[in-house]
Amino acid sequence: MSTALSRPAGLDLQTFARLASLHPDLVRRFVALGLLEPRRDVSGRMWFAYDDLVAVARLQRLRSAFSLNYAALGLVVDLLDRIAALEADLRNRPRPTRGRSWI
Amino acid sequence: MAARRDFYEVLGLQRDASSEEIQRAYRKLARAYHPDVNKSPEAEERFKEVSEAYDVLSDPDMRKRYDAFGHDFRRVPEGVDPQTWARARAGAPGGGRPGDDRVRVDFGDSGIDIDDLFESMFGGGGRARWGPITGADQEVELPLRVEDAYNGGHRRLALSGPDGNRSIEVTIPAGVTDGQRIRLAGQGGEGTGGASAGDLYLVVRILPHSRYRVEGRDINVELPLAPWEAALGASVAFDTPGGEAKVRVPPGTSSGRRLRLRGRGMPNPSGSAGDLYAEVRIMVPSKLTEDERRLVEELAATSTFDPRRQR
Repeated sequence: MSTALSRPAGLDLQTFARLASLHPDLVRRFVALGLLEPRRDVSGRMWFAYDDLVAVARLQRLRSAFSLNYAALGLVVDLLDRIAALEADLRNRPRPTRGRSWI
Repeated sequence: MAARRDFYEVLGLQRDASSEEIQRAYRKLARAYHPDVNKSPEAEERFKEVSEAYDVLSDPDMRKRYDAFGHDFRRVPEGVDPQTWARARAGAPGGGRPGDDRVRVDFGDSGIDIDDLFESMFGGGGRARWGPITGADQEVELPLRVEDAYNGGHRRLALSGPDGNRSIEVTIPAGVTDGQRIRLAGQGGEGTGGASAGDLYLVVRILPHSRYRVEGRDINVELPLAPWEAALGASVAFDTPGGEAKVRVPPGTSSGRRLRLRGRGMPNPSGSAGDLYAEVRIMVPSKLTEDERRLVEELAATSTFDPRRQR
């Protein structure tokens, strides 16, 4: 008897779709549009991360609030992520708060 | 529950606004306050308020009823004359809770609970076309003094939420740095349809300090010295965020020299602590006594030291 010693940690399509309360076909569509990027194992099965549940919730919120189509949704999400990265960068940059100069 | 604001006021409109103006005001505010665009906890409440106002005012029928009856419009039966309604309200005993006797009077003995009826029709917002959706993550800035960041501790935070303000206690780990995010699971935006809430992130902001300057985990502090301490060397005590520290000043130390106290900077919960740098600053008395003046003059006459000559 063989036992799988390791498998990608994550959620398979069915589990992911159930947890996200979406139809698996819609999840596949999100993947096809590049809105979700699951990892694939050697057999090509998709494995989703728990963080993808957060990402999917954001897609749903944005889509219902602004009646965006999926292509626009991808752009909006990319831009929001870029802004978040820039803001984080700005926060971590040492601020010029030099002490008084005395020389 | 807080008093509800007028829907026109929420959207920043006059009561005679056109449907186009309503649409435009809503779109603008929705973009500004959407919980995925604006991460402050207040934004979510604002977004809900704006959405609710738009849901009502964008529907000509509902808008007409809102104009006539105000926030009670969903409890007013079809075909009631606004004037009659206003008189009935004025005559009713004050302080009654919504949906009390005065509504039932119009229905005679049918015993229908109007609140239930409308709840089921409007489903508390009416935009739940998706299944349950997890709430958005939120961010709020946490300003800390250098000493508080160094020592850590507990802090009570007031946050605005769906039921007015709530207060949470957070534990700040010793040695948080500027820009660090502290995650409070499940304290973010509300989920819909029974889904879990998002997370709240506290973004640490170290406040400027008159003596300490923090860079990452290193702390810089000025070390004022008398000219003779700097010239002859000395062991001096000075304050640091972690209490008093002693540093040995080597003989022949000039202004600007940084003396390192290894491990006396910000503590690090997961590694080695930062360093503390004492930056030398030579001070002279603003007024010399007679003896001091005589000695300094003697030094000036004897010394060949010229700090402006290139070495």
